[in-house]
Amino acid sequence: MASFTGTTARVSCALKQGQVPSSKISNVRSVSLPIGGRSFPSLKARRFQVFCAAKPETVNKVCQIVRKQLALPDDATVTGDSKFANLGADSLDTVEIVMGLEEEFGISVEEESAQSITTVQEAADMIEKLIGKK
Amino acid sequence: MILFRRVVIFTMNSVCFQRNFAAALSPLVPVKLPSRMEAHLWYVVPDEVKSSFLLSNYLDILSPCEKENVSRMRGEQLQKAALLARVLVRTTIARYQINGQVNPRSLKFKKNIHGKPELEWDDDQCQCASRLQFNISHTSSLILCGVTVDSPIGVDLEEKQRKLKNNILAFARRYFTPHEVKFLSSISDPVVQHQHFVKLWTLKESYVKALGRGFSGLPFRMFTIQFRTTENGDSCPSGETNNEGEIIVKSLEDVNSFSSNWQFALLELAGSHYAAICMEKDEAVEGEVPTPMKLTVRKTIPYVRDELISGPDAAVISGLT
Repeated sequence: MASFTGTTARVSCALKQGQVPSSKISNVRSVSLPIGGRSFPSLKARRFQVFCAAKPETVNKVCQIVRKQLALPDDATVTGDSKFANLGADSLDTVEIVMGLEEEFGISVEEESAQSITTVQEAADMIEKLIGKK
Repeated sequence: MILFRRVVIFTMNSVCFQRNFAAALSPLVPVKLPSRMEAHLWYVVPDEVKSSFLLSNYLDILSPCEKENVSRMRGEQLQKAALLARVLVRTTIARYQINGQVNPRSLKFKKNIHGKPELEWDDDQCQCASRLQFNISHTSSLILCGVTVDSPIGVDLEEKQRKLKNNILAFARRYFTPHEVKFLSSISDPVVQHQHFVKLWTLKESYVKALGRGFSGLPFRMFTIQFRTTENGDSCPSGETNNEGEIIVKSLEDVNSFSSNWQFALLELAGSHYAAICMEKDEAVEGEVPTPMKLTVRKTIPYVRDELISGPDAAVISGLT
């Protein structure tokens, strides 16, 4: 049984009736989920996202594009949790990264979404969502 | 040596900190507030700040949250730039001595709904203090803070040599307006075209930052920046660094309107950067010419040295008529 003990948790796979989320919890803003007919108390917050985590291949490709854009040294660690800003990306870098992702994955990203992507994982998740819509 | 020992002994008491730190280094030189339509620009060159003694004392000016953010930056140079950016903001605002002596450590900040940082004052300080506005921008080699009274301000910095990974026109077609693409396409010299791209980028960034909306709050395709020369009123990509005339912004949502509330300046800073400044215009009194924008530029290493800058290190390219 999932229990939300704080204000951060992300349900990282789709839930069916009665199914318990098995993946790692990381980063939800607010959730109110019926599981087995019972609702969890909704946490006070603004945003609500439930979606599948991106495939590792997608995450890796995003890491590569980010490395290239920011000209990171080989020993610099870039993972799903990496925040663009912490890697030294400014707004122009972020826009170029998004443009690189659009070209690589054949998608089109709205400007409003472009700057709300702050980590590699968020970029990868958004890419798969957009690919799924095509 | 005695000075060094005194600083090492400092306690967490902020008054004691101020006295000891100030004893070891020069105190912050107080400055009068900018007048209406004046912007004060302060910049730091990270490469000139080498002393680890100074840097460790700078770290103690930051709030716990800011220290945490600095530590999350990946790599020493990024951490140093992040540290200096916060130090520049705090020490600069402290110089204006709002409501008496202000310790840079005691300043509080909040964010507007789009994430733009703003000052937060206690209720009793609010009256005068809330009029102070600021905005910062930094690259790996320069950190800039702009300060005004009353007018929302946005500043953006970019290295002149900043290279795009993408083709300039492909990038512009994706993110800029058709007018701006046409302007850039009309420039045959790739060096000049690149310069104008960087200038356009900084001007557009400074506008959305002045509005407090940021890139995601106002997509760049929704407004056009134009250089208007005083003679013929058309955009002219002269590529020269003397005064290229007026910079205006036009909203694409309402094609017939000029967003005439906003005034821009474009500078070449420290020989290496373009800096764009965007400020809200003074309300023109009937029959009077509105006050033109005035800039005062200072280079600083907080607690060490301040320098008023003019001439080639702060060369105005456009916008100040």
